[in-house]
Formats: sequence, C-alpha cells, structure tokens
Amino acid sequence: MSEIETITPPIREEAASTPLSAPKNTTFESKWKSNQILEASKSIFFAVIGLVAFGGLWELLSYTTEEALPKPITTLTVLFEMVSDPFYDYGPNDKGIGLQLFNSIKTVFLGFILGSIVAIPIGILMGASTIYKQIFYPIVQLLKPVSPLAWFPIGLVVFKDTGMATIFIVFITSLWSTLINTAFGVGSIPQDHKNVAKAFGFSKKRYLTKILIPYSLPHIITGLRLSISVAWLVIVAGEMLSGGSGIGFFVWDSWNALSLEKVISAIIIIGIVGLLFDKLFTYIENKVAYKA
Amino acid sequence: MSYIEIKDLEISFPTPKGKYTAVMDINLSINKGEIISIIGHSGCGKSTILNAIAGMLTPTEGSVVVDNKKIQGPGPDRGIVFQNYSLLPWLTVYQNIFQVVDSVVNGSKAEKQAIVEKNLKMVNLYEHKDKLPGQLSGGMKQRVAIARAFAINPGVLLMDEPFGALDALTKGTMQLEVLKLWNLDNREKTIIMITHDIEEALFLSDRIIVLNNGPASTIKEIVEVHLPRPRNKIEIVKMPEYIDLRDKLLHLLTDHFSIEDMGMVYKK
Repeated sequence: MSEIETITPPIREEAASTPLSAPKNTTFESKWKSNQILEASKSIFFAVIGLVAFGGLWELLSYTTEEALPKPITTLTVLFEMVSDPFYDYGPNDKGIGLQLFNSIKTVFLGFILGSIVAIPIGILMGASTIYKQIFYPIVQLLKPVSPLAWFPIGLVVFKDTGMATIFIVFITSLWSTLINTAFGVGSIPQDHKNVAKAFGFSKKRYLTKILIPYSLPHIITGLRLSISVAWLVIVAGEMLSGGSGIGFFVWDSWNALSLEKVISAIIIIGIVGLLFDKLFTYIENKVAYKA
Repeated sequence: MSYIEIKDLEISFPTPKGKYTAVMDINLSINKGEIISIIGHSGCGKSTILNAIAGMLTPTEGSVVVDNKKIQGPGPDRGIVFQNYSLLPWLTVYQNIFQVVDSVVNGSKAEKQAIVEKNLKMVNLYEHKDKLPGQLSGGMKQRVAIARAFAINPGVLLMDEPFGALDALTKGTMQLEVLKLWNLDNREKTIIMITHDIEEALFLSDRIIVLNNGPASTIKEIVEVHLPRPRNKIEIVKMPEYIDLRDKLLHLLTDHFSIEDMGMVYKK
C-alpha cells in the first residue's frame, strides 16, 4: 500500500498548479482537470494492485519450487544488468539485449512491411470485387489457420538462409489480418458514398483516393495492428528455430545456459515491446478515425 | 416537347419471389423551370422515379428524356440532393463541394475554387468551410448538400426528401433557401422533389404528383398549384385556393378519415 501513497501526492500538486495557465473558466477547467487526474490516479492505483498481486504470486511460486523459478527480485536484478549494458557485442553468442531486440524488430518490420504491401492491395481487390473475393478467399481460408512456423522449411528451401526464412514467416503471418480487415473495410463502404461517386461521375482515381481509402483506412490500420502483434508473437518462436540472433534466440540461448532469470527478463522485454507496438497502432487508428 | 419527358416508365426488380414492380405506367411532361413535388405514402416508389430521372436506376420499360437526350446514366445536367445528405465525413465542407466540382466542371483550378466559394457563400456556409460534416447541424449539412448539387450548375435539381430530417423551424428556412436559389437563377432550374409534407409541397411546387400506394404504383393524380409567386407562408395559408388544394391532397392521401371508417366502433 505504501507505493500507492507515494504515487498520488505529486499528481495532486500538478492539479493545484494548472488553473494558473487558464484565466477563463478556471473553476470548470480545473474541476474537469482534477476529475481527469482522479480517474488517471485510480487506474494507476488498480494497475499497481494487479502488479503487486502478480509479484506476490510469483514470489510464492518460487518459494514453493525452492527457487527453481527464480525470485522476482533476482530476476529484476538480472533484467536491470541486461538493460544497463544493452549494446555490447562479444561475438555471435554473446550480444547485448538491445542488439538482439534491434535485430528482432528489424526482422519483424521487414516482414511486416512486405506482407502489408502485398496484403493491402489484394484486400482492396477482394473487398471491391466479387470475382477477386471468389478467387482469393478460399486460399486465405485454407492458409490462414496454418501455424506460420510450418512455413519455415519452405523459406529455408527457397532462400537458403535462416535470416531470410525468418523474414518470410513474418511476411506470411502479416498477411492474413491485414488482408481480411482491408477486404471487410472496402466491402462495407455504404451505398450512400458509392451513390455520391456515381451521381457526380467520380473517376476511378477520385473514388479510390476520396472514398475507398479514407473509408477503409481505420479498418486497414486495425488489420495492421493485429498483424504486427501476431508477427511479434511469431518472431520469438521463429528465432528459436533459426538461431543466430534476435530476442527469440536470446531466450533459447539463455535456457541452454540454464539462466531462467534471463529468460524471464527477455519475456518481460518482449511483452513491453509488444505493448508499445499495440499502443503505436492504436494511436494511428485514432488519428485516422473520422466521425460520421 | 417539354424539358423532361417520362414515357411509359416501369421499374421492376428481380426478387426471390419473382418480379417486383415498384412503379409502372408513369407518364409525365415537365417544363423547364417548373417545381414539381412527388408525394405519396412510404414505399410507393417516389424515390424510384427520382432515381430513374437521375440515371441511378435503369428503366425496365419506357424512357426518361431530359433536354432531348435519353437518360442512360447519371450526368452533370442533373444535380442530386440525397435523402440523408450523403456528405463524405472525412472531407471538409469545402472539399465535399470541391471534389464534385473538380469531377464535373471543366476549367482551371482557380475557376473551380471560385465556383465552390460562390456556392458556399450562397448558402451562408463560407465561415464553416473548413469544418467536417460531423461538426455541423442537420440544417447545415443539408445546405452543404444543396450547395454541392447547385455547384455543378445542373439544369435539373433532384431532391429526395430534402427536409425530411429537419426540425420544423429549420425546414421552413431551408424551403425559403431553395426558393431563393431558384429565384437567383432566374427560375430556370427545374426542381423535382420528393416529400411527405403536403404544406411543403403546396408552398414550393407548381404541380404535385400524387402516387398510388405500392407495389406497382401509378400516378393517382396531378394537382396543379396556381398560387401566386413569390409565396408568403403566412399569407397563402389563408387563401381559399390553398385550403381547397390542401383538402384535396388530404383526401387523395388519406384513405380512411376516422377510426370508425376502418371498422372500429367506440364503446361509449
């Protein structure tokens, strides 16, 4: 409980200082602001409760397993050491966590961007035309449920390179959600908007840039957000298979070195990066959203 | 030959149960500069006729001829004001009009911009040109839709229940706006509008087309309105002619005048 008490007071001070900046409507503005701050501190409060409970459970588990599962505090110490020197490079099997993370993010973005370049146009075609939908939809339905890792051998055969094969599986992973959401967005353009284009003789280009894309953009971004979160899931497993570099390789390597502290630290970092990806795309989603 | 000639128009749609005829045997001649209202109950095919003139629907039988040209599809000679405004929510007021002008009008960018600005000023929305439709009231959205239809300077203005979603006060103002625009244009634009509202039809129109109930609606009667223009809402309602026309239209549109007529008996 002591952690919570230390969080709230500085926020209250901020509330007291804000009204000075706005002379007009001061009382209502400050009321609104203090309400916002109250809500924010509430959500922080409950988040901290959750984390503390989680830590407690973890502590309990490591206690009952006689520290086969490392204790939170030892893990956090290792995590801190890893983060404090992230970019060292002592050869192929001993790189800093920052370098590994950078490699993974690079691979994910390469595969993700390539996948999006393919998925968005095909999704638009599928949404706009029944024929294309009939051509592509069975393929999508057939391939979507396949675990991306099953594509790894094919990637290896085709590219003869584990790095390329990893990009390839991220590419495959990134296709489906983007494809389906884009097709759905384009397919659900209201007749009203289409009527405007028809009645005023919009050219194909004008229809595409002024109606189709603006309407389906929020759906496309949602697809991209789902795609990148799955891609981030897959990269860890992919790098365990491919080896050599990346956060997935780091997890596997740490497991082989029997350092569960490092494994858990890596898990925490993977989680945080995944969360940041999600936040980034949610932010873009809100940016492109429009009010009807 | 009149400006608009509708001959033996029939529009049918294929359905799982076979052919569904929305309207049939529609014959109508409309002169240039006339204001015509189409009135009838919901689902009687008012919009179908309007859409056929707009070229959004292809006639099953018969034809629509505007200015000696048979209608094959939508065209810049006919401006449409849709029932629910149909503004593009991601474009500003200005862009909503500009994209249509840019699509239809030939000319330099400056000329097109001048057209947009002129039409925005005409409906008193110039100060709001950078707003998105979501930030406007219903009446303002409708004015944008009307300005958009006027901006391409069509010979025919087609309006599908243009004031249906507006409150009574805004509705009155908008009716005047349309008449003002029509007058500014030397009463040369032909206006065809759909309405549910008898008073609105009487206030605006030269002729009122009353349709039978669907399916397979036909024209029940064409009512001519010879009230002098410019019409003043407060004055015309007192004219005996107005009262007669209103009663006539009420009769045409109301099959049953009281609940007793529908076979119900009040127990007293």
